[in-house]
Amino acid sequence: MAVSNAAHPITAEGGHGVAVAKGRHAARSLLTNIGRTISIFVPVFFVATFATFLLRALSGLNPARIQLGQNATPLEINRIEASYGLDRGFFAQYWSWLSGVLHGNLGRSWSNGYPVSTLIRDGLTISLTVATLALIIGVTAGFTLGTLAAVKRTTWIDRGITSFLSVISVIPAFVIGIILVEVVAVELRLLPSAGFVPFSQGLWPWLSHVLLPALALSFGCMSSVARQLRSGLIGAYRENYVIGAIVRGLSGRRIFFRHVLRNGIGPAVAVLALEFPVLIGGSVIVESIFALAGFGQFASTSAQMGDVPSVQGVLVVSIVLVVTFNLIVNLLLGRLSPASQRGV
Amino acid sequence: MIRRVLSRPTGRIAIGILSVIVLLAIFGSVIAPQNPLTTSPTQLAPISAGHWLGTDYLGRDTLSRLLAGSRASVVGALEVAVIALFAGAIPGILSVYLGRVFEWVTLRLVDTLISLPFLLVAVAVTALLGNGITQALLVTGVLLAPNFYRVSRAAALSVARSEYVEAAQISGASPAWIVRRHVWSKVFPPISVSLAYTVGVGFVVVSSLSFLGIGVQPPAPTWGGMLSSDLSYLSYQPWAPVAPAVLIIATVWACNLLADTIRDVSGQAGRAFSIKRPQRRRLALSQGGA
Repeated sequence: MAVSNAAHPITAEGGHGVAVAKGRHAARSLLTNIGRTISIFVPVFFVATFATFLLRALSGLNPARIQLGQNATPLEINRIEASYGLDRGFFAQYWSWLSGVLHGNLGRSWSNGYPVSTLIRDGLTISLTVATLALIIGVTAGFTLGTLAAVKRTTWIDRGITSFLSVISVIPAFVIGIILVEVVAVELRLLPSAGFVPFSQGLWPWLSHVLLPALALSFGCMSSVARQLRSGLIGAYRENYVIGAIVRGLSGRRIFFRHVLRNGIGPAVAVLALEFPVLIGGSVIVESIFALAGFGQFASTSAQMGDVPSVQGVLVVSIVLVVTFNLIVNLLLGRLSPASQRGV
Repeated sequence: MIRRVLSRPTGRIAIGILSVIVLLAIFGSVIAPQNPLTTSPTQLAPISAGHWLGTDYLGRDTLSRLLAGSRASVVGALEVAVIALFAGAIPGILSVYLGRVFEWVTLRLVDTLISLPFLLVAVAVTALLGNGITQALLVTGVLLAPNFYRVSRAAALSVARSEYVEAAQISGASPAWIVRRHVWSKVFPPISVSLAYTVGVGFVVVSSLSFLGIGVQPPAPTWGGMLSSDLSYLSYQPWAPVAPAVLIIATVWACNLLADTIRDVSGQAGRAFSIKRPQRRRLALSQGGA
């Protein structure tokens, strides 16, 4: 009794010390992970926004031509260019544009003079709704299919899933969109084929309008997640520690969740970082098929009008979205497999 | 390598489909039974002896438009792939040899290109730069370049660390000679895999852009543009999108199949998967030892 009493505080203290050291170690590795991720994505952000800024110089467009048409006097052109700050030097313009972007000010549209951030806001809601839903569908279906194929590997279920995935991975998003409109909206009349209804008008009207576009976008994401997960899990199943766990008589479920999933999920999570820009970029075509007034459509029509600040605004917002998503994925990867943080 | 690709059934299927598509692209506008641009009063006609695939909403013969439209899509996809190859592979190989500054800059550029929302940028930039086919192909090609950059860089890295290259360097060979002599044979198989794959991706992108009326505007016939006009008349002609959609899917599938077959016959298949981890560990060890 006395012995155990004497021993108890020591072990507790020891345990406490270990916990603190572990906590400190985890915090430090989290910080280095964040630091490394930021050191990758800060240059990406600046290079991408600089390229976006260059678009005006490259395109040689100016607001006077859009607002005044062909027969404008040089005086009027000068006045309008000055009002948009285009009479200053290149770097002065870049600096004021960049500081505006960093403060959330995306400039004014050339076609009507409204602030671009207000013009984008509504479209952004629609596009983000569709992209998020597509991501949820893609990840859920991808994980289900990939796991099923890996657990039932080399059976007809695996072969069926694999061939289904290879079929849908070669069908472009706009063809999938047309097939969905054709089958679900025109033939079966199950869901509306176009338009958008805000969430405030009820769950089903809202969901019924965004479900098809999200489904059309999700197929690419679904097939890459499922393929990566399948090969990751099968690779993990081949490892010796899994054989060891089987030999020790652990249950299949425990082996799957503790040994296989944690080690095999990395590539599937990593591929999400590559699929997210595809989702955001695909919005432009899906919005055109389903007649949604999202920010992809806005960018496309603005670009065809020559409204450079609106296009730049959409691009900057999408770059911020992609970079943020990449940061999240990288942090997640760091938590999942600490080995991935050791050097590249 | 072509013979080995053809020795496999998948390679024969892929080459077969692709040759049909290429023949369509070359002779399509010649064998088209009617002028793809002449309109007629029989709009949205069903399949008949005069119009094998019916007519579209302006009464133009669908089969003729399909045949005449093949060239824009196929040539576009090939040009995109070639632009991407040059824009990606040359910096990729040079990044191993031209010092750390060049390496860092190109790596950051590639990071940026990968994280751009692809189609959105292609549409926006092409439309801003004048909405022509040249702009569309250039923008798409540059956006697809990272794939070639990474593949050729990885292959060049594996050669650069090898002993025979060290021996060549010690004997005073110039970097250009080493690239021509040793690097190219190592880099060629993975690059041809990427090339076949990129032709497929480029095909999807070119069709997507023409679907949106970017790059090639109507009334010029393209497969993507035909799908776009079919979409508006789905309730009259529900079968109309089938032919262009099947052609697009078959082409992309054949490109992917060809890429997979080249990977299999050139022995690239299991390599990336099984050797990567031990190799990295060995590298880390040797660096630690040094």
